[in-house]
Amino acid sequence: MSESKFETISSLVDNYRVSEQASEQVIDEMLKDEHLSASWQQYHLIGDVIRDDIPPTLQLDLSAQIAEAIADEPSVLAPKSASKPLNTVDLIKAKVVQLIRPVGQLAIAASAAGLMIIGVQQNTADNNEVIIPTQVVQTKPLAGFANPVSFNYQQNSQSQQQETIKERIAQQRRFQALLSDHQQQVKLSAAKLAELTESTEAK
Amino acid sequence: MKNLSLTLPTKVIFLLSIFLFSTSPAVFAAETEQAKLSLERLSQSLRTLNFNTSFVVVKNNQAEPYHWLHGITKVDTSTADEAQLAGSQLTAAKTFNVELEILALLNGPRRDILRVGNTVSYIEPEYAPYSIASAQISGPIPTVFGRDVSVLASNYDFVSVGKSRVLGRAAQLIRIEPKDAHRYGYWLWLDLESGLLLKMAVITRKGKLLEQIQFTHLEITDSLSENLKQLHLAELPQIIELSAKSKTNLAWQVNWLPEGFIEIKSDRHRINSTNQAVEFMLFNDGLVDISVYVNPSKDTHRPIEYVNDGATLVLNQVVNNLEVSVVGKIPLATAKDIVNSVSFTPKKVN
Repeated sequence: MSESKFETISSLVDNYRVSEQASEQVIDEMLKDEHLSASWQQYHLIGDVIRDDIPPTLQLDLSAQIAEAIADEPSVLAPKSASKPLNTVDLIKAKVVQLIRPVGQLAIAASAAGLMIIGVQQNTADNNEVIIPTQVVQTKPLAGFANPVSFNYQQNSQSQQQETIKERIAQQRRFQALLSDHQQQVKLSAAKLAELTESTEAK
Repeated sequence: MKNLSLTLPTKVIFLLSIFLFSTSPAVFAAETEQAKLSLERLSQSLRTLNFNTSFVVVKNNQAEPYHWLHGITKVDTSTADEAQLAGSQLTAAKTFNVELEILALLNGPRRDILRVGNTVSYIEPEYAPYSIASAQISGPIPTVFGRDVSVLASNYDFVSVGKSRVLGRAAQLIRIEPKDAHRYGYWLWLDLESGLLLKMAVITRKGKLLEQIQFTHLEITDSLSENLKQLHLAELPQIIELSAKSKTNLAWQVNWLPEGFIEIKSDRHRINSTNQAVEFMLFNDGLVDISVYVNPSKDTHRPIEYVNDGATLVLNQVVNNLEVSVVGKIPLATAKDIVNSVSFTPKKVN
């Protein structure tokens, strides 16, 4: 199951433009493939949740089912594609299976996010001792960033490259700071300006 | 009779040149006069009409949408407070007109500018709300268009170009062209019916478009809109007192600026986001603001670096541990000349 198919389905759900050929193909496959058609439903459900658009009855029904399903799960990290048979009709069972998967994925995503938050917090905690906190944090996501050849081709070592990245970030920050201060100063001197330009006119 | 020996084409050129020289100044003067009248009408309309409008600032492949409301209300002298009285023109003994204005950026964090008469309040994420005493809102549209545009006549030519359709309305294009190569031109499309601005573009002398403002909606009403009525009742933040002394003696000076730029102020302050202490000078030619910053740097030397935000150029360089920066809606060559003209005694700076 290629990623692009899911992407096309997602685009179709969101009403984004998809090439006619791709959409026809995916729709045909969706009708045949249970997994694809399940994701069609999932995407709609996700959309509904985001838009706060879910019918109350559905929500009530599912919460009970999810609780039951989670109780049956041995581990969230490896959800069984078909868990223990549930005491429901086949139709509902299919829907629940779709829901276990996102819940499992969400749990992984959530724990990963949790790790990231802890990581970042530790980082800032370290930096608090070094007085200049923001710089180090900001260099992390840009670590893989290639330097233009002309900028410092003679620098080879890792630390020197880090220096260059820091330097570029500092430069951007400097420009941004100057630009906003310029706008601020213009605002503050608006009255003065009107006064001065009118007085030169009067001369 | 040597004249008779002139060939036919030379005669034509001769005649043509007489024709051109005799008529063009008159035509040009008429165009200028027309342009000036349109600009005066714009200024008048911006101050006296009740309008509700939206525009988008387009620069660097990004668009910033704004909502702009303006209106006039009559106030009874007995109910008005002193601040309002200061900013109004007395029309009668008992009542006077007060201008109300709201300019709001619609995307991202809230940035609203409110004006009641001579008080302008800025609501921005960076600072606690504050007010300053001014009769002008500093936004994307140059403040001079709401004042006396004739202050620009010494540095810019006004040319009335032609008519076109903008925002579904008939518009007159007025070009404000700089007399020298050190600044940009401003093209204004003005509504024939109301005189208001419908579109504005900042354009280089070579005709390259740098930044534009396109209005997307315009409504002119007889009565005050609901938002402005509420603004009139609202309590604005405290007016911050700006020091009366607007000039500080600094240990450096800018030796070259394009003609017509005057010093608005000079001071020492800290840049909000970086907390960097700087020495600062602000210049203006009526239309364009230029800021010059000088501060010590830990680098001994850094070549000129610059970035463009639409028409606004931010440029800086470090020479002998001193960082000099220039910010403004000016061409690169102008900014380079300004930055290179700064002379100073290094020991005295901070």
